[in-house]
Amino acid sequence: MDLFNNLILGFSVCLTPVNLLYCFLGVALGTLIGVLPGIGPTATIGMLLPITFKLSPVTALIMLAGIYYGAQYGGSTTSILINLPGEASSVVTCLDGYAMARKGRAGPALAIAALGSFFAGCVATLIITMFAPPLAEFALKFGSAEYFSMMVLGLIAAVVLAHGSLLKAIAMVFLGLLLGLVGTDVNSGIRRFDFGISDLSDGIGFVAVAMGLFGYAEIIANLELKGKRAVITTDVHGLMPTRADLKASWKAVLRGTGLGAMLGILPGGGAVVSSFASYTLEKRVAADPSRFGKGAIEGVAGPESANNAAAQTSFIPLLTLGLPSNAVMALMLGAMTIHGIAPGPQVMNERPELFWSLITSMWIGNVMLVVLNLPLIGIWVRLLTVPYRLLFPAILLFCCIGVYSLNNSPFDVVLTAVFGLLGYIFIKVDCEPAPLLLGFILGPMMEEHLRRAMLLSRGDPTVFFTRPISLAMLVVSAFLLLLIIAPTIRRKREEAFQE
Amino acid sequence: MKIIIRNSKDLYAGILFIFFGVFSVAIGRNYPMGTASRMGPGYFPFILGSILALLGFIVSARALWVGSDRIKPWVFRPLILVLLAVLAFAILLQRLGLVLATIALVVISCLSGWEFRLLEVAILSLVLAALAVGIFAYGLGMPLNIWPF
Amino acid sequence: MKVKLGLTVLALCGAVLCIDVGTALAQSYPSKPIRLIVPWTAGGATDIFARIIGQKLTEGWGQQVVVDNRPGASGIIGFEIAARAVPDGYTILLAAQPFTVNTSLFSKLPYDVVKDFAPVTLMAYTTNILVVHPAVPAESVSELITLAKSKPGQLNFASMGSATTGHLLGEMFKIMAGVDMVHIPYKGSAPAMTDLLGGRVSLMFDTVPSAMPHVKAGKLRALAVTSAKRSPLVPDLPTVAESGLPGFESAPWYGAVVPAGTPKEIITKLYTEIVKILNMPDVKDRLSNYGYTIIGSTPEQFADFIKTDMAKWAKVIKDAGIHVD
Repeated sequence: MDLFNNLILGFSVCLTPVNLLYCFLGVALGTLIGVLPGIGPTATIGMLLPITFKLSPVTALIMLAGIYYGAQYGGSTTSILINLPGEASSVVTCLDGYAMARKGRAGPALAIAALGSFFAGCVATLIITMFAPPLAEFALKFGSAEYFSMMVLGLIAAVVLAHGSLLKAIAMVFLGLLLGLVGTDVNSGIRRFDFGISDLSDGIGFVAVAMGLFGYAEIIANLELKGKRAVITTDVHGLMPTRADLKASWKAVLRGTGLGAMLGILPGGGAVVSSFASYTLEKRVAADPSRFGKGAIEGVAGPESANNAAAQTSFIPLLTLGLPSNAVMALMLGAMTIHGIAPGPQVMNERPELFWSLITSMWIGNVMLVVLNLPLIGIWVRLLTVPYRLLFPAILLFCCIGVYSLNNSPFDVVLTAVFGLLGYIFIKVDCEPAPLLLGFILGPMMEEHLRRAMLLSRGDPTVFFTRPISLAMLVVSAFLLLLIIAPTIRRKREEAFQE
Repeated sequence: MKIIIRNSKDLYAGILFIFFGVFSVAIGRNYPMGTASRMGPGYFPFILGSILALLGFIVSARALWVGSDRIKPWVFRPLILVLLAVLAFAILLQRLGLVLATIALVVISCLSGWEFRLLEVAILSLVLAALAVGIFAYGLGMPLNIWPF
Repeated sequence: MKVKLGLTVLALCGAVLCIDVGTALAQSYPSKPIRLIVPWTAGGATDIFARIIGQKLTEGWGQQVVVDNRPGASGIIGFEIAARAVPDGYTILLAAQPFTVNTSLFSKLPYDVVKDFAPVTLMAYTTNILVVHPAVPAESVSELITLAKSKPGQLNFASMGSATTGHLLGEMFKIMAGVDMVHIPYKGSAPAMTDLLGGRVSLMFDTVPSAMPHVKAGKLRALAVTSAKRSPLVPDLPTVAESGLPGFESAPWYGAVVPAGTPKEIITKLYTEIVKILNMPDVKDRLSNYGYTIIGSTPEQFADFIKTDMAKWAKVIKDAGIHVD
C-alpha cells in the first residue's frame, strides 16, 4: 500500500493550478514542436532551460517532461500528412500513415496514432510506477555484447521493412550503415569521411537525412507530377477510425506498447528503434503482409504506441539511477542539477514528492494530449486541402528553419538538400529509404559496441555467445533469418521442380 | 551487338551502390585497419563498402537480364529549383536575415511549380516570412537575425 | 582645389574621431546585446556555468547577454566562430580545457589559441574524481597502482570519449605511475557510467557531481580527487598526489576570452565586472555547491596559464601517443 500512498502524494503535488498549467504548456508546446519538422524536444528544452530557472524544480521538470512526450504525439502528424517525419521515431509512421492519407484516410490514421499513443502512455506510466527499480537493474546488465547482438537482430528485422526488391533493400541497409560511419570514431577518436569539414566531425544528423530523403524527395516528386502524386483521392472518408479499424489495431497497440516499454529502458536503445521494431513485428504477424506500405492501419497503430511507451519508460534510468538514456534525458539531468537536485539512485528516496509528482503528471499529460490532439485532426485534414502550390513552399520553409535550429548551422540545411537529391534519385530507381534509415541509425552503434565488446573481452570473440542475454538474441536473429530465407528457398525449389 | 537494358531502374540503382561501395573502400583505406580482434576505424568501411559494391554489382547484372522496369524520364526543373531554394536559404539566412532568406526560398521554389502568379507568390512570401518571424524568432526565441544586421 | 581641401578636412575629422573611438566604445560599452559563445550543449556543466555568469552580466549591465550554444567537434566549431567574430567586445567565448588541449591533438586547426584570442580572465576551476567499481580490490591510489602493476593490461578505465579530460587523465596516470591499463572510450559520460556501474570496466575519472550520487549509494568507491588541493565538495577525499602519486594534478577550468584585437579598455571592463560577479555571495554559494573554486585572475595571469596548460598537455599527449588524425 506504499504504492498507493506514493501515488496520493504524487497527485497532491501535481494537481495544483501552477503545476497543471505548466503541464499543459509543456504538452501543448511539445505537440507543436513535434509537428514542426526538424525542431525537436532536444532543441526546445535546451532553449527553455533558462526560463525554468525561475520555476520550482517540480514544475520545471513537469513542463520539460511534457514537452518530450508531447513531441511524440505531434511527430506523427507531419509523417502522416506529408511524409515528413517530425521526429526520428515517427519515420516509420510515414510508411503506412502517408499511404493512408493518400487514400483519403488521414483522419483515421491521425486518430489511431493519438489513441494508441494515449494507451501506451498510460500503460508505460503504470509500468514505471510499479517496476522502475528492478527494470533499471535489468538495464544495467546490458553491456556492449548485448547491445551488439540486439542490433544484429534489429538489422535482420530491417529487411522485413522492405516491400519491394529484397536485394535492393539489403543494399540500402548497407548504404545506411556506411552513411552512419561518417564522423568521429568513438573507439579511436579518428574522424572518418569528414573531408575536413568541421560540421561533419560529429556525423551526419539524423534529421537532415530523414528530412531530405522523405520530405524533400516527396516534394520534388510531387512537383514533377504537378501535384497529382500526393493525393490519390480528394474525398475524405471521415475523421474517425471505423470499427473495423479499431478491431484491426488494438492488438498492434498492445504489442507496440509492450515492445516500446521494454526498449525504452535501455540507455541508447530507445524510442527510435522501438518504432522500427514494432513495424517489423506487425508486418511479421499480419495475416496479409503485402498490405503494409499501402495503408495498413497496424503499421501506424503499432509504431506510434511503441514510440510513446518508449518515451515514457526512457525516464526510468534517469529517475532511478541518474543515468540519461538519450539527449533529452541528459538535458533533464542538467535541469535537475540547475535546480539543486543531485540526480542519482537517491532521488526516489530523498525527494519522493519530485519522483511521484513527475510520474503522476505523465498520466495527466497524456490525458491532456489526447484531448488536445483529437479535435486538431479536423484542422490538419483541412490543411491538406490547401492547394499544393501554396503548401509546399511553406513545408520547405518550416523544414529549413527546423533543421537550422538544431545546431544554428547552415551546413545542416545544405545537407538536407544533398539528401533531397539522393532521395529523389532513390524514388526514380525504386529504392526504399526506410531500410537505409534504419541502417543509418544502427550502423554506428553496432560498430561501437562490437569493437568495445572486443576491447573489454581483450580480443575474445566468444563473449557474444557466453553471455546469456547476448546469446539469446543471436539465437533469435538466426531463427528470424531462417524465417525470411525459407520462403525464398521454398519458392526456388518449386520453380526448380516445375522445370 | 545491342545490349537491351530491360530494367534500367535497377541498373542505375546498382551503379549507385557500386559507386558508394567503391568510394567507401577507397577512402576507408586511409584509416588504420587494425586486426579482427582489435578493429581499427578503417575496418568497417572496408568491409561494408566491399559488400555494398558487390550487391550493387549483382543488382546491375540482374538488371540486364531480368524484369522490365524502365526509369521514367528525369524532370530537372522542380529538382534543381527546390534544391536551389533550400541552398539559397542556407546561404542567405545568416547574412541577410530571416525575412529576406524566406522570400528568396518562396520565390525560387514557386518557380518550380507549374504555374507562377506573381501577386500570389508575393503575398505568400510575405505571409510566410511573417509566420516564420512570429513563430520562430519571437515565439520560440531562437537566435535568428531577422534583418541583415 | 576646393574638392581637395574638402577631402583633407574630412580625412582629418575622421582621424580625430577614430582616435577617440576606442575609449568612446569602451565608455558606451555595452550598448547592445552581447553574445556568449558556449561550445557545448545546453544543460551541460559548462553551459550551466555560462548561464549563471551571463545572467549576472545581464543584470549588472542592463544589456542582454545571450548564450549561444555551438556544440561539436570537441569545441572546435565554437572556438572557430569566436576567433572569426568582430573584436568589438560583443562576442565572448567561454573557454574550457579543450581550448588548450586541441592544439596538441589536431595537426591543423582553424584558429590559433595565442594569436586569435585575447584572454580576459580565468574564472574558476573544479576537480575530477577517481572512482572504481566496488569489486576492484583497492581502497586507495597507492593500492590501485600496486594492483595495476601486478596485473598489466587487465584493468581498464572508461572515459567520455577519445581525448576528453577523462582519457587524458587516465593516460597521465598511466605514465606517471608506470602502469598499463586499457582505455575504453564511450560517447559521453552516461554510457561510461552505465558500464562502470555494471562492473564491465574497473575505474573512471569522472566529474564530482556525476559520480557522487553513486558513491553515496554505495555503488561506486571514490579513491581521490585529481586537483592539487582537496575539493570543498568532498573534503574527506585525499588528492591523487597525496595518496600515492605525487606531482599528479589536473583541474578542469573555465575562462572567458574575446577575439584578438578587442580594445584593451573593453577587456578591462569585462574583467572587472566578471570578477565582481564571481565574488557576489549568491554566485559564490551556487558555484561552490557545484564544486567550483573561484579564481578570477587578471588577463595576463590567464595568458600565462594558457601557455603552461598547453605545454603540459602537449607532453602527455605526445608521451601517450594519442592522435586523432
